[in-house]
Amino acid sequence: MKRLFVSFCFALAMAPSHAAVPVGKIQALLAKPEILCGRFDQTKHLAGMKKPLLSSGRFCVAAGRGVLWRTLQPFPSTLRLSRDEILQMHGDRVAVRVDARQEPTVRLINNMLFSLLAGDLAQLEKLFEGEGSVQDKQWSVALKARDPGLAKVIAGVSLEGGAFVRQITLHEANGDRTSISFSAMQTGEAAIAPEEAAQF
Amino acid sequence: MKRHNLLALAWGVVVAILLAHGVSLWLNQRIAPDTDILTLLPTQERDPAVQQAFAHMADAAQQKLIVLVGASDWEQARRAADAYRAVLSPHADLLQFADKLGEQTQQDWLALFQRHRLALMTAEDETALRTQDRQYWVDAALSKLYSPFAGPKIGAWQDDPFGLFGGWVQARAQETPVRPRDGRLFVADGERTYVVMPMILRVPAFSMDAQETVMPLLAKARQAASSAVANAEVLEAGMILHAAAAGKQASGEVSTIGIGSLLGIVLLIWFSFRSLKPFAYIALLLGVGFLGALTLCLLLFDRVHLLTLVFGATLIGVAQDYGIYFLCHRLGAGAATTSPQLLRHLLPSLLLTLLAAAIGYTGLALTPFPGLRQMAVFSVAGLVFAWLTVVCWYPAMIGPMTLKNARQAQAFSAVLKHWPVLRADRRSALALLAVAVLLGFGWSRLGVNDDIRSLQNPPKQLVAEQLKLGKLLDAPTPVQFYLVRGASADQVLQREEALKRRLDPLIAQRTISGYQAISNWVPSAQAQSGRHKLVKEKLMGDGAALPVLASRIGEDADWVHAMRERAATVPSLTVDEFMKAPASEPWRHLWLGRLDDDYASVVAVRGLSLAKLPALQQAAIGIDGVQWVDKVADISSLLGRYRQYMGWALLFSYAAVFCLLFLRYRAATWRVLAPTALASGVTLALLGIAGQQLQLFHVLALMLLLGIGVDYGVFFQERPDRREASAWMAVSLSAASTLLSFGLLGLSKTPALQAFGLTMLLGTALVWLIVPCFAHEHAAVAQAVRMEEVCE
Repeated sequence: MKRLFVSFCFALAMAPSHAAVPVGKIQALLAKPEILCGRFDQTKHLAGMKKPLLSSGRFCVAAGRGVLWRTLQPFPSTLRLSRDEILQMHGDRVAVRVDARQEPTVRLINNMLFSLLAGDLAQLEKLFEGEGSVQDKQWSVALKARDPGLAKVIAGVSLEGGAFVRQITLHEANGDRTSISFSAMQTGEAAIAPEEAAQF
Repeated sequence: MKRHNLLALAWGVVVAILLAHGVSLWLNQRIAPDTDILTLLPTQERDPAVQQAFAHMADAAQQKLIVLVGASDWEQARRAADAYRAVLSPHADLLQFADKLGEQTQQDWLALFQRHRLALMTAEDETALRTQDRQYWVDAALSKLYSPFAGPKIGAWQDDPFGLFGGWVQARAQETPVRPRDGRLFVADGERTYVVMPMILRVPAFSMDAQETVMPLLAKARQAASSAVANAEVLEAGMILHAAAAGKQASGEVSTIGIGSLLGIVLLIWFSFRSLKPFAYIALLLGVGFLGALTLCLLLFDRVHLLTLVFGATLIGVAQDYGIYFLCHRLGAGAATTSPQLLRHLLPSLLLTLLAAAIGYTGLALTPFPGLRQMAVFSVAGLVFAWLTVVCWYPAMIGPMTLKNARQAQAFSAVLKHWPVLRADRRSALALLAVAVLLGFGWSRLGVNDDIRSLQNPPKQLVAEQLKLGKLLDAPTPVQFYLVRGASADQVLQREEALKRRLDPLIAQRTISGYQAISNWVPSAQAQSGRHKLVKEKLMGDGAALPVLASRIGEDADWVHAMRERAATVPSLTVDEFMKAPASEPWRHLWLGRLDDDYASVVAVRGLSLAKLPALQQAAIGIDGVQWVDKVADISSLLGRYRQYMGWALLFSYAAVFCLLFLRYRAATWRVLAPTALASGVTLALLGIAGQQLQLFHVLALMLLLGIGVDYGVFFQERPDRREASAWMAVSLSAASTLLSFGLLGLSKTPALQAFGLTMLLGTALVWLIVPCFAHEHAAVAQAVRMEEVCE
């Protein structure tokens, strides 16, 4: 988890946006609920490893509050991103806690991950450029980092979705690849389980 | 030719030479006075390594200027910073921006450490390697593997499966809150986002020329930032800002004090003589005195400090005594006495006063402060030149008919007849008792403060900006640090590590926020091999975390073997290698390298507060080769030692002056010295009541007061006859003008000068009021009569 901040620390860049991606159209399709919860299935292909790593669990995105990412399989672990903090729980044990006082880029990183999960392309466009298409209320975009420093780490990001983001694929420069697909999406206060709500 | 004319001619030749030399100096060298307050402080006969470490740290800080431009959001901050930068960019010969963020540097930066990654881990992880079980590390690796957003990372997962190196890089990044963003550097607090712009000053920070060109540019840049973004905040910090502020303040005070003294004296002389002719005489003696002092100072020291000139402005207060004394007596002597005759009568007392003043000033030269020594030379030389001008020129220039007596002066002199006199009666006893009570009360309230910071008084705005900036950047101070020494580079690193183990609990207690040390980047060879071993045993070996991890993710023995091979090829990192790499650039000032037989380094402390200094000093105790260096405390304690030392020197001067005066006054000697001693005592009491804290500069002022007070005592003792008021007029005139010049010094914004001025103000006024009370009418009447005979 720590490595995440590090790489962003060294490569945070924002450049003026130009719209090769049909941001407006996609924004219009997105539902943008206050609370969005659902199931995720993640597949990771790492260079030098034969088998892909599979994991799954539940996630919740609460506008203005943050992101809760609960891995259930193959072992339980929880990641919580709020405005000023990143917290990684391994079972009941706090594995990593980083706050904005300690690491000033926490807010920027959390903003970006929130944008990624919420499909907020207007925000992502500051970091990435690329192309996209919209068909039958379904959309897909392929993004490349604008900053050469960031591009040395992230080769590309692709997103697919309709009213919600359905699939995120992250291509790293070193050949690693992570795909996350989302399903069983629910919105509104009822979507979030009480124990999940308690975590925010 | 008469003897006094010959003397005048000879002195004329000397002054002409001085003048020619002064003019040539001025034309050829355009001497600009020194403004660095540090040159006033002693170069100590101390540990050269400490000295070098301090010089190293100070040099690193001296030519730096750091500017933060902030606004409520990043876009605005960037706009304001661009406007700021646009003003300075064309002046790269003066100021160079030092925030180039080449991505290549970042890659090189990481590449070096990646090659040596295995030994680079945080102290927490090292402890965890020793204490945690296998499962902990398997879980840690799995969690990293499965974590969704741990995607972008430094290098391949296989190079750092347990995240040790990543944690280390993260910890290094946290040594500063400054981060690259958008090709710039940024830092933020809860309210604002700032663009950080470090700059290197290409001209000397202490050169007045440099200050005069750079300061207006900075003001213009600040203005540009504010016009670009209305609520932009600009924070600046750098030595040049302090130097410029101190220089501006001192030069402003030179002219205020100089002009104030001059005006005061002109008015006084007009009041006393109804003519400005005497003023011309006094101006002449001061001019020669000043020229002589400056020339001698430049010959001896090559340069003159601005504060010497400020202090020298007070020379006027003492040197004019000689002229005024002569003029008042010329007025009182009557037409029958020729001026050479008059001078012969006055010569013994004039000589005594010069010697007594010189003794007082010589006390300054006894201090090891180069600045004070310079002031002493300046003052003594000025007095001698002024004195010689009176002796050589006045008799030739001023005849018996040159001056007329003014009625106001006569009326004023009449006051003396009603002045109280100390006698063996009840009134005097009561007065003495009252003084004793005052002394006891005042002295008991007099505290002591030797803090070096009381020498300077930088503008509040500057201090506030610097504090805020220091807090935002979490920067270490350049004047307090640990000096670590050892027989080899590696021993230095080991000792740094021992020190850091003591400091880690202080970080946990929030006593400090962190430290900067070369061993943060290059662990000692011992630590590196220890970690290699630990990684091998606890993570890579048979039955360790790696094989278990392999089975959890479905990899086989070949994979485990390949992972071990990867780890085995990691070499150790050395200081030399680090120092050559671009990554070490911001930390190179911490490494002093080889000093004579030793190697040395500096461990700097971040987030330090004054209250916490004892804990930090404590941390160094008992570790070989580690020493806490606190320049502020060192100099402050030095100031304290010299305050005490000068106190003794003052008593010694009193004794020396007493012996000098005893040659002439015998049993009446105490009457000459008592007014000054009493005035000094009461001054201290009054300072105590006013809540002032005693420091070196109060004591130095008392030393000078001795020089001035003895003048008055001598003048009075020579002419105690109250019907004849020349001495009273001379003393009153010179006291009034001394009060004016030193009173203005008391208005100085520089605390040291203010303390000095205030002491002189109180002391001179008191001596003036007290001195007639001690003049005995009978003791010297015989002498007065004898003198009258000679005059006739």
